[in-house]
Amino acid sequence: MHELSMADAIVKTAVDVAEKNDAQEITEVTIEIGKLTMLNPEQLKFMIEVLSEDTLLEGAEIIIEDIPIEIKCKSCDFVGLIVSDDLDPLVPIFNCPECEGRDLEITKGKECNVKTIKIEKEDEDA
Amino acid sequence: MHKIAEVEIQHDIMVANKKLAQRNQRIFDKAGVFAVDFLGAIGSGKTSLIENLIEKMDYKIGVIAGDVISKFDAGRFEKYGVPVVGLNTGKECHLDAHLVEHALPDLPLEDMDLLFIENVGNLICPVDFDLGSHIRMVVISVSEGDDTVEKHPLIFKDADIVVINKIDIAEAVGADENKMFADVLELNPDVVVIKSSLKTGEGLDEIIKNIQKFMDEL
Repeated sequence: MHELSMADAIVKTAVDVAEKNDAQEITEVTIEIGKLTMLNPEQLKFMIEVLSEDTLLEGAEIIIEDIPIEIKCKSCDFVGLIVSDDLDPLVPIFNCPECEGRDLEITKGKECNVKTIKIEKEDEDA
Repeated sequence: MHKIAEVEIQHDIMVANKKLAQRNQRIFDKAGVFAVDFLGAIGSGKTSLIENLIEKMDYKIGVIAGDVISKFDAGRFEKYGVPVVGLNTGKECHLDAHLVEHALPDLPLEDMDLLFIENVGNLICPVDFDLGSHIRMVVISVSEGDDTVEKHPLIFKDADIVVINKIDIAEAVGADENKMFADVLELNPDVVVIKSSLKTGEGLDEIIKNIQKFMDEL
């Protein structure tokens, strides 16, 4: 269950930032996942829900966004996004779409990013 | 009155592991230890290969044995009189840099040349987690089927050495080791691919020679 350790780190990050911002609760968390990670978004979401019980994150809406794959070709200097098939997201990364070259550097698509949280807090001006 | 606020975090969980991995590598470098991460499916021959390397390589070697229950493999390595730390991952399917960091104080790094880190048997999850090793060696076997490379491309993309093991039984299991060899190079033209049988000893010298080469290049 490799999603478990990632979910644990995500929950800790979100709760930690919320506490530092004096939040009373987190209403929404947005997470970006690279297409090339070995993470399953549905499993990850489920794990976050389970782990956020009794924390500020409990009940928050969990939004997961994809980060597409970006490559840099070392043969022809092509830099750009790769359109990947959802069933076989890994297949296209091995050939440059311009020159078919195989010497590629993966520049995006391996992230697991806690992007933003929406929090509710006491209005100090009230 | 309640106020709603949006807080930017932009914290990459993967980067957190990567930073820990870099810290591990600095610890290895400082102690003059060359670290190898062994990845591969369950039963591909990772433990046997490490046993063979301990016996044949003329270096001071230490081992981190990662497994869901690590005491079995750790026990196998202890018989060779080398320092061993067993890392139980429990329910986790991979080692991460943090787990490896915790094992380091229990190893006599200053008195070692080589560290072998045996990852959990799995061709999928460990890919995401750098441990701080200098090279990644992927061990697969013909009994996994000769389409295993095509089915798990990403692990080969990041590998430095790929060992195709158990070629002595390729015919019996109906697998074509040459297809596996070509598949690996198709995915990663820069990788060193070696066909081996740890049972007959074939390929072992070539594996040692290539580890040595990576050590010399450092």
